[in-house]
Amino acid sequence: MAHAPETAHHEPAHPAHGEAQPRHGGTGHGEHSGSVGHDYTTTGLNHRKMLMWVFLGSDCLFFGSLIATYMVYRGQSLTGPYPADIIDIPITTISTFVLLCSSFAMVQALSATNNNDQRGIKIWLLATAILGGIFIGFQVYEFNLFKNEGLTLGQNLFGATFFTLTGFHGAHVTLGIIWLVSLWILSFKGRIRPDTALDVELCGLYWHFVDIVWIVIFTLLYLVGGFDAGPAILGGEH
Amino acid sequence: MATITEVLARPTYGASGLWSWITTVDHKRIGVMYGATAFVFMLLSGIEAGVLRTQLATPDTDLIGPGRFNQMFTMHATVMIFMVIMPMGVAFFNFVVPLAIGARDVAFPRLNALSYWIFLFGAILMHFSFIVDQVPDAGWFSYANLTEYPFSENMGLDFWAIGLLVLGTSSVAGGLNFVVTIINLRAPGMSLMRMPVFVWMTLITSILLILAMPVITVGLIELVMDRNFGTHFFNPTGGGDPILWQHLFWVFGHPEVYILILPPMGIVSEILPTFSRKPLFGYPFVIFSGIVIGIMGWAVWSHHMFTVGLGPIANSVFTITTMLIAVPTGVKIFNWLGTLWKGSIELTTAMLYALGFVFLFIIGGLSGVSHAVSPSDFQQQDTYYIVAHIHYVLFGGSIMGIFAGIYYWWPKLTGKMLNEKLGKLNFWLVFIGMNVTFFPMHFVGLNGMPRRIYTYAEEFGWGTLNLLSTVGYFIIFIGVLVFVYNIWQNRNARRVSHDPWDAPGVEWSIASPPPAYNFAEVPHIKGRDHYWIEKDLAREAGNPITEPEPAVDPSTIHMPSPSYWPIITAAGVGLIGGGLLSHYGVSFLGGLIAFIGVIGWSNEPASAPEEGH
Amino acid sequence: MGLLPRKRAGSPPEPIPDENAQRPAPRRNRLTRLAFFGAAAALFLLTAACSQGFQSTWDPVGPVAQKQLQLFNVLLWTMVAVFVLVEGALIYIVIRYRRRPGQPRPPQIHGHTALEITWTIIPTALILGLGIWSVFTLFELDQPPTDQGEILNVTVTGHQWYFEFEYPDAAGGKRISTANELRIPVDRPIQLILESDDVLHSFWVPKLGGKVDVVPTRQNRLWLMADSDLIDQPLPATFYGQCAELCGLAHAQMRFRVTVMSEVDYQAWVQNYNPPQALTPQAQQGKTLFAIHCALCHTINGPEIESVAKSRIDSFLTGGDAVAVPGPNLTDLRTRQTLAAGITDLSVENLRAWIRNPEDIKPGNWMSDKAAFYTDGGDANLTDEEIDALIEYLLNLR
Repeated sequence: MAHAPETAHHEPAHPAHGEAQPRHGGTGHGEHSGSVGHDYTTTGLNHRKMLMWVFLGSDCLFFGSLIATYMVYRGQSLTGPYPADIIDIPITTISTFVLLCSSFAMVQALSATNNNDQRGIKIWLLATAILGGIFIGFQVYEFNLFKNEGLTLGQNLFGATFFTLTGFHGAHVTLGIIWLVSLWILSFKGRIRPDTALDVELCGLYWHFVDIVWIVIFTLLYLVGGFDAGPAILGGEH
Repeated sequence: MATITEVLARPTYGASGLWSWITTVDHKRIGVMYGATAFVFMLLSGIEAGVLRTQLATPDTDLIGPGRFNQMFTMHATVMIFMVIMPMGVAFFNFVVPLAIGARDVAFPRLNALSYWIFLFGAILMHFSFIVDQVPDAGWFSYANLTEYPFSENMGLDFWAIGLLVLGTSSVAGGLNFVVTIINLRAPGMSLMRMPVFVWMTLITSILLILAMPVITVGLIELVMDRNFGTHFFNPTGGGDPILWQHLFWVFGHPEVYILILPPMGIVSEILPTFSRKPLFGYPFVIFSGIVIGIMGWAVWSHHMFTVGLGPIANSVFTITTMLIAVPTGVKIFNWLGTLWKGSIELTTAMLYALGFVFLFIIGGLSGVSHAVSPSDFQQQDTYYIVAHIHYVLFGGSIMGIFAGIYYWWPKLTGKMLNEKLGKLNFWLVFIGMNVTFFPMHFVGLNGMPRRIYTYAEEFGWGTLNLLSTVGYFIIFIGVLVFVYNIWQNRNARRVSHDPWDAPGVEWSIASPPPAYNFAEVPHIKGRDHYWIEKDLAREAGNPITEPEPAVDPSTIHMPSPSYWPIITAAGVGLIGGGLLSHYGVSFLGGLIAFIGVIGWSNEPASAPEEGH
Repeated sequence: MGLLPRKRAGSPPEPIPDENAQRPAPRRNRLTRLAFFGAAAALFLLTAACSQGFQSTWDPVGPVAQKQLQLFNVLLWTMVAVFVLVEGALIYIVIRYRRRPGQPRPPQIHGHTALEITWTIIPTALILGLGIWSVFTLFELDQPPTDQGEILNVTVTGHQWYFEFEYPDAAGGKRISTANELRIPVDRPIQLILESDDVLHSFWVPKLGGKVDVVPTRQNRLWLMADSDLIDQPLPATFYGQCAELCGLAHAQMRFRVTVMSEVDYQAWVQNYNPPQALTPQAQQGKTLFAIHCALCHTINGPEIESVAKSRIDSFLTGGDAVAVPGPNLTDLRTRQTLAAGITDLSVENLRAWIRNPEDIKPGNWMSDKAAFYTDGGDANLTDEEIDALIEYLLNLR
C-alpha cells in the first residue's frame, strides 16, 4: 500500500480535487509552476498523492465520528428491530469478501498500468468496478430487507446509526465506482499509461481506504454488534 | 478532440475586470477576495453585536424581543467565527504563505479558488435565512435538543446546519491545500526549522482543520437528519442523547479555538521581530509550543461541559489537561517578551496591534485558567465572565492579530502604506473600546449575569457595567470606521519601497505589489530570517539592496491559467445545500452542475490555448 | 492562602488596593511606578465592580459557593500577580527599548535554553499545584455531608420556562409539588436531583453554589446548603436563581427564588401546603373556570400525579397544536412571592395583568400560545369578572 517517494516522477503536479475524476494526462506541463522545474517538490513526493493521503486522514475522522456515534448508541434503541433480529452475517460476509476481492483487482489494475499492459488495465479496472458494484448491490438488497422488516432511519437508534454509517460508506464506494469507470473509459483512449499511473494509483489509494473502513464497519456492526438483542444487552448504562 | 479542447479551453489570463477575478487562480487575488468578503461579514456581524449591546445597555430595554435577540447572538457568533476570523486567517494563508515559502502559487491553485467560492456561497446560503426570516436562533453551539422538533419548528437551524456543512467543505479543501503547499512547495533551503512562524502556524491550523471539520460535519449531518429524516440522534424522545451533540461539537469546537488563534499568533510572531529588529526569541520553542497546543487541543474539549454532569473523574481529567495547555501558551508569550527584550522597538500601527494582541491575550489566557478549574467554572460557566474571556482571546487575540497582519502586509499587497496616523487612531480606539466593552463583563458575570439573556431586571445591579460595555462597543465601532476610512483614502497614498519595514521574510525581497509569478527566480533560502541575511551579505559586500528583485517578462514563466471550473463546481455545491433547504430538485441540479464542474476540471488543459505547447 | 477568612455576607470583598499597596514594588523608577499605579487603579475598579447584587458570586451563603469562591479567589490573586508581572514586563520592555534615532541594530539573540526550561517548569509546577488542589475541591464538593443534619431530597424539573420542585418527602412523609420557589430549611444539606422533560436548562443559585445543567435523559445531582453563619439577614431569607443554559425564547425570564427558612417555619410551610378552598361564591365560580380553562396544564389540588404529568409532557412533545403543556403547579400559589417564573411580584394586580395577557409580561411563554382562550398573543377571552373569580380562587381570598 505504501508508496515510496518517486524521485523520477514526471507526472505534472496538476491541481485536482481530492475526489475528482482522473484528469487529462497528456500535457507535459506542471500547472503550479511552483519552484525549480516543473515537477520540483520539496519532499520529492507528488502533490496529488500527498493530497490524497491527507484527505484520507481527514476522512478517517469522518468515519471515526460516525462509528463513535454507532458505538455510543449500541444497545440504546428503545424499540426493535434490534441487530440480532435482522443482521445476517453470512450474507454480509459474502459481500465483504467481494469488496476484498475488488481490492485485489485494484492492485492488479495498478500493476497492469505500470507494465503498460493495456488489456490488463481494461480488465482489472472493470473488474474492480464490477466487484464494487456487486457490493453495492448487496447493500441495496440488505437495506431493502431491513426496511421490510421495519428498520428505518426513524425507527430506532440502531436504524439511524446503521443506515447513516453504512449509507455514507456506500456513497464512498459509489463515488469510487464512478472514478473507476471514468478511468476505464479513459483507458480506451489510451490515456492510462505508465506515465499517468498516478491517476490509477490515487484511485487505488482511495479504493483501498474505503475497503479498510468497511473491514472496521463489518467487524463492529456485524461481528461485534450484530448479536445485540435489545437495550438490556449492555447492562443498561443509564 | 478538437471540439472538446475548444469547449474546455481555459480562459485567457486577463489582468483586470470582473471576469479575471471570477476565474482567477492566483493565490494573492484569492487572498484578497477572502479578506474582503470576511471584512464585509465582519461589519455585518459587528452591527449584529451593536443590536445586542443596545438591547442590553439598560435594564428592561424594549428594543427587540427574545426571538430577535436569540437570532442576533447566534448569527453574531456564527458569522464572526466561520465567516470572519477563519476566512481572515485563510486570507493570510493565501496571500502570505506562498510568498513566505518562496513559491509561485499554492500546490492546487484551482482547488484554492474552489475553496473560496464554496466559502462565499455557503456564507450567502446561511444569510438567506434573513430573507425568509427564519434565522438560526439556538446559539453558535446550537445545543441539542433545543434544535430539534418541536422546540425549533422553523427552518433556521437547517440554514445554520447546511450553511456550516457547505462552509466546512471549503475549510477542509483549504486545509488540504495548505498542508500540501507548505510541506511540498518550499523553496530550496527552506527546511522545516527555517520556516517562518506564520507558515508553521498555518500548517498546524490546516492540520487541525482537516481533522476537526469532519467531526462537526458528522454532527451536522446527524442534526440535519434528525430535523428532516426522522432520526433521533440527539432527540431523547427516541432514545437519543443530547449530550452526544455536545461531545461532537466540542471535539471539533476546541481545536477550532486554536484554528482561530494560531494564525494570529503566527502573524504576531512575524511582526514582533521585524519591529524589534531582532530574530524571534526561542524559535524552536515557539514552534514546538504551537505543535503541543495543536495536539493538546484535542484533549480538553470537555471543559466546555463541566456543568453537564459528567462526574468528578471526567471533570478532574479535563481540569488538569486544560490547565496544562496554559503552559505552551505561556511559553509563547514569554518568548515574545524575550524577542522584545533589548530590541529596538518601533511602534508602528502593525506593532501596536501585535503588542495589543500580546497584552490582551495574556488577560484572556489568565481568565481562561480560572474556568479551566472546574469547581470555579461552576460559577462562571454560561455567564458574562465567559463572554469576557472569549472576547479577550478572539477579539483581543484573533482580531487584533488580524489587524496587525493587515497593517503589516498591506504595503506588500498594494505597494502603498496605510496612513500611520489614522492607523494609530484606529488602534487606540479599538484597543480602548475593546477593554471598555469586555473588561466589565468579567464582573457582570461574577455578579451573576448569565449569557444569552435578552433582558434583566434593574435590581440585579448589572445596569451600570452593561451600559459601560455598550459605550465601549461604540468606541470600537468608531475605531473600525477609522480603519475603513484608512483603506478608502489609501487610493491616493504614495508608493513605498518594496521593503518598507526592513523585514526578515523572503516575501519582502520582491516588488510590491508582487508580480503574478511572485519570484522571477526561485530563491535559495539562506536561513530563518532569509532577507535579513541577504541584506547583510549585500551590505557587507558594499552593495546594499535597495531595489526589489527585478521583474521579468511574465510570458517566460509558466503560470497556471485562470479557470472557470472552480466557481461552477462551487455553485453546484452551494446549490446542493440550497436544495436541501428548498426542493430536492435543486439539489439534484446542483449535483449535476458540480459533476459537470469536476469533469470539466479534470479534462481542462493545463494552460490557456495561446500558451499551447 | 491565608487571606481567605470566612466572609460575612454583605461585607465588601477583600480590600484589594490596600493589599497591593503593601506589595513592595521591585524597582522604584518612574516606569514601574506608573505600571504599579495602573494596576492599582485596575484593582480598585475590580473592587468597585464586585457588587453585592442578588446573584453575586462574591457573597456566598452556603459551603458550596464558599468553597468555590475560595478557590476562585486563589486563582484570581494568582492571576493578578501574573498579570502585574507579565504585563508590567511587557510595558516596561516596550518603553525601555523603544527605538531611538540612529540606534544600531540590537544584539541578535536567538534564544536561551535554560530560560526556556525555567519558564516552562515554573508555570507547570504552579498549574499542577493549583490543579491538584482544585481536584480535591471537586471531589470534596461532590457529595453532601452526612454529619450535618438530615438530607432533604428535592427533585428539580426544568421546563420551558420555569423550574418545578418536587419534595418526595418534605417532612413527615408529606409529598409536595411546587414551582418557581424552592423553600429549604437552613443548615441542612439539600440534595437536588435535576431532571428535564424538554430541553437543556441549568440550575443556578449563585449565592448557594455553582450551576449544574438540567439534561433530558439524565439525572444530575447537586447538593446545596444554606449556612446560618453566612446569612446576615433575618430568616426567612430569599436568594435568587436563574436558568443559565439557553433554553428557548423565555430563557432570560426563567428565574426562581430560594427561600431559606428556619426549621420551624419550614415545617409550618409543609403543614400548610394544601389546595386552595373555594370559600365564596365568586371563588366557586373561579374553581369552575379553572377546571374548564386551566386544569389541562396546571395542577391545583396537591402534588403532581405522575400519569397526568406524563400525558402533559407527551402532548407537549408531540408539538403542533397540542393543547396540554406541563404548567407550573398552582396549589400553593397563594403563598408565593412571585409570578411567572420569578419575574414579577405576586399581587392581585399583577396576577390580573398576567392572566389578561401573559405575552406582554413574558414573551414566548407557552400559556398564551397554547391556552384556547388566548387569541394570537392577544388578550384573554375572559371577562373581568371571570378573571377576578379565578384570582379569588387561586389566591384563596375571602
